[in-house]
Amino acid sequence: MSPSPSTSPDAPLGTFEEQVMLAVVRTHRAADGSGAYGMSVRRELEEVAGREVAIGAVYATLDRLEAKGLVSSERGETGAGGTRRVFAVTPRGARALADSREMRERLWRGVDLLPLLAGGR
Amino acid sequence: MEVPRLPLALLRAWLPYAERDEVIAELRTEFVAREVREGPQAARAWLWRQVLGSVPPLVRRTFSRGWTGFEPRASRLRPGGPPMESFIMDLRYAARRLRSRPGYALLAILTLAIGVGGTAAAFGLVRGLLMTPLPYPAEERLSLFWSPGDWSEREFLHLSSDWSGFNAVAAFRTKELPLRRGPQASPELVTAIVTSAGLFDVLGVRPTLGRAFEANEDRPGAAPAVVISDGLYGDLGGQPSLVGGTVELDGRTHTVVGVMPRGFWFPDPTVRAWVVEPFNEEDGSGNYALMGRRAPGVDGPRLELTLKGLGTRLRERFNYPAAWDKGRAPAVTPLREHLLGPLQAPLLATLAAMGVLLLIACANVAALMLGQVDSRATELAVRMALGADSRRMTQQLLAEALLLGLASAALGALIAAQGFRVLTGALPLGPLAPKGALDWGMFSAALVLALVAALAVALLPARSLRKSDPQRALAKSRTGGIGARGGRTEGALVIGQVALAVLLTAGAALLVRSVANLRAIDPGLNDTARVAVLDVVMEGNVERDARPRIISDLEAALATLPGVRGVGTTQKLPLRGAGEDWGIGIVGKPDLPATTTYVRLVSPGYFDAVGIRLVDGRLLHADDRVDSERAVVINRALAKKYFPGENPLGQQINTGLGGLERIVGVVEDVAEAGLTDGAVPARYMLHAQVAGMTMTRQTLVLRAWPGQDPAALLDAARKQLAAAAPSVAVHRATTLEAVLTQAIGPARQVMSVLTLLTALAVVLGAVGVYGVTSHFVRRRQRDLGICIALGLRPSRVVAQVVRRGGVLVLIGSALGTVAALVLARLLSSFLYGVSAVDPLSLAGATLALLAVGVLAALLPALRASRLDPAVVFREG
Repeated sequence: MSPSPSTSPDAPLGTFEEQVMLAVVRTHRAADGSGAYGMSVRRELEEVAGREVAIGAVYATLDRLEAKGLVSSERGETGAGGTRRVFAVTPRGARALADSREMRERLWRGVDLLPLLAGGR
Repeated sequence: MEVPRLPLALLRAWLPYAERDEVIAELRTEFVAREVREGPQAARAWLWRQVLGSVPPLVRRTFSRGWTGFEPRASRLRPGGPPMESFIMDLRYAARRLRSRPGYALLAILTLAIGVGGTAAAFGLVRGLLMTPLPYPAEERLSLFWSPGDWSEREFLHLSSDWSGFNAVAAFRTKELPLRRGPQASPELVTAIVTSAGLFDVLGVRPTLGRAFEANEDRPGAAPAVVISDGLYGDLGGQPSLVGGTVELDGRTHTVVGVMPRGFWFPDPTVRAWVVEPFNEEDGSGNYALMGRRAPGVDGPRLELTLKGLGTRLRERFNYPAAWDKGRAPAVTPLREHLLGPLQAPLLATLAAMGVLLLIACANVAALMLGQVDSRATELAVRMALGADSRRMTQQLLAEALLLGLASAALGALIAAQGFRVLTGALPLGPLAPKGALDWGMFSAALVLALVAALAVALLPARSLRKSDPQRALAKSRTGGIGARGGRTEGALVIGQVALAVLLTAGAALLVRSVANLRAIDPGLNDTARVAVLDVVMEGNVERDARPRIISDLEAALATLPGVRGVGTTQKLPLRGAGEDWGIGIVGKPDLPATTTYVRLVSPGYFDAVGIRLVDGRLLHADDRVDSERAVVINRALAKKYFPGENPLGQQINTGLGGLERIVGVVEDVAEAGLTDGAVPARYMLHAQVAGMTMTRQTLVLRAWPGQDPAALLDAARKQLAAAAPSVAVHRATTLEAVLTQAIGPARQVMSVLTLLTALAVVLGAVGVYGVTSHFVRRRQRDLGICIALGLRPSRVVAQVVRRGGVLVLIGSALGTVAALVLARLLSSFLYGVSAVDPLSLAGATLALLAVGVLAALLPALRASRLDPAVVFREG
């Protein structure tokens, strides 16, 4: 028995949007406890995705996600007395990520790449 | 170790305020770490990649934040970002404000669009006609010789033996030639240039197909040759085999030797063929213009020496009478000046008038915006009290101006396209009118003008904001009172509008009076409203002796048409310019200095048909035949000049045609050349008695019966002529009324444009006065309400408000009058019978504006007089 698909009022996440949100989640749970601020999110993306990411693209995407209500931000303290904008995924955002993953899993279900791989040059 | 400043500065410019320091600090930290780890070169490259990769998404975010107004919660204590963000916010806000005030927005857009569209249309014309180079290389070396249109083949050949100082010189004249497309086809007319062989050497342009004329092709006996325009080439089928083929032109077979490039024209775009003419030493008739290309380095003193030499050689060979001695004052006119000079005054006058109208429109919109700013005084004061600086408030006004500018640019472009067509038809541009063309240059001009105008009108309210005092504004907002801004700037704007409107009105009044003066001139013709005119051209191969018979046949054919009362023929109609001057000698007066009069070769019915009145003796008639004594009719001016105090009837004159002519009658003076020439001596002879002088070009005149519209006869007349004489082409068919209208000329054409502009200017001025007075009343509403409550009579309120409007108009009128006195000279070439400094026109303009201003002020004044004090107090 397959699970019923969940309905979501939000538009599907863009690829980069999904990547940025996942990086926020991963960074938020980082052991050093510094939180998910812009530069740490960028670094996480670069390490995991294996490619260079522009800091402005990260901030612009986070702004867009916050405008959609999928991410929230607040000012946090830095050690040197300055402030940082620290991000967290909202419950709606978590739901969007879960929906995105479910869609991807449904797409992969039943897909057998072996014949395609064997036939390719 | 220094972190590069340029990439960080670029990035900082596009970051929101709240995140700038944070992001810059993080980048610095990582730059230092990478520099240690990978070297300065790699670290610098990384930094540039970060910045260049960041700017596009940040720009998009700036636009999005500006458009939606979104500010993250974490940044709300330090909102804002790149200047573009707030500007887009202001644009959106401005769009909302304009949408909520449709009357104001539409009025502002329409006003600016009228000014912008008109100015762009005039600019398009000026650019196309005056600023485009002529299609001839090194055009500045091309010049027309003195006495254009007055050179003979004999004179040209004499000078041709030595053209020192010139690379080439050509003689040319314009001629309408009948063209047959096939042996059985009826002839159609082609405007052609008849020329010596060197014309294209002078112009410096070669045919794209075939060749130009060769040097010996203008010798007697050479085969007829023609070069055709690209347009005519297309009309004749556009086949390359046409070059080397033949066409029937003017009754003779011509070889087509070349086709000119697309876009070539000379001397105007209506000319489509250039025919080489055999030049004959014996031909002393003078119809040619001479044009030369100066050799390089020949200018100033060397040119004068060259011309003086030409003059000397002319005198050595020809015995010129003192009155028209060609060798006396040789001079040349640059070709550009000759072709385009007459267009300069009407075009620049139109452009200046359009510019004035645009200034009026700008003043109007500026006053409207000032009114808006004033009505928002409380709102703006609150904003400034909360921390907005004047720069930000100015930006808001500029955003509004930008939207108005773009909207008026779009509408202005439409008005420009339509206005361009109106101007092309209305102004006296002549055959070069097609050279002005609708193009993107004109629409670009409309866009630039609209934006500049809109931003200019925003500067005044912006300056007003900079000076405002928020605290005082807040204190006064509830209590009203005249402590608020006094409205001096708006008053100044209205004064400016009225001054400019007076300037236009004065110009239009001058032209109206000129045209009235021109219309009042009696051309000497009876009842011009009942005469139709057909210009015809015979083929050149019709024998001269046969031409009078053909003319008789044409007249007989036309006389049979219903509605035609009389028919006549002349080789030159009155009111169409000078020409056909012939020498005159008078028997018994050997001491008479050599001189000329106009000569008209006519048919017997001509005088009645065209409306020339007999004064004494008799008219010419059919009994005056080839074998009888040649008869001549003279006009009053000729009688007065050559026969003062005696009876000219029966006297004899010598035209130089072999034998003498006897004066048989005297007729009234007619405007044989131009309307404003005054009475000029003229004489009339029959075609039949001087057949050898009968031209291929003739004008047939039809007089209609009373009640018959002559224009309605033209189609039937054309058909009748085609049936009666297949070798005759009808060049043009019109009415004598139209010829008279044409003779009134450029003044009437410029008048129609300037009068339209004046009407627009007066309307805009009225709107300005109305707007300012309305605003004044609104601001004084509380005061007026109190006064009315205390017993002030409504009529006093009206008088007080109207007086203020009237004062503005009076001051504006005075300034406009001064400007008109200074600038009216621009129109002087179109004025007739009226000085450029005409008190009647200036007084009329001033009174008109004063009346309009008072009426415009009266409306808000009446509204003010009906204020209900209770309502005013409650709203206040």
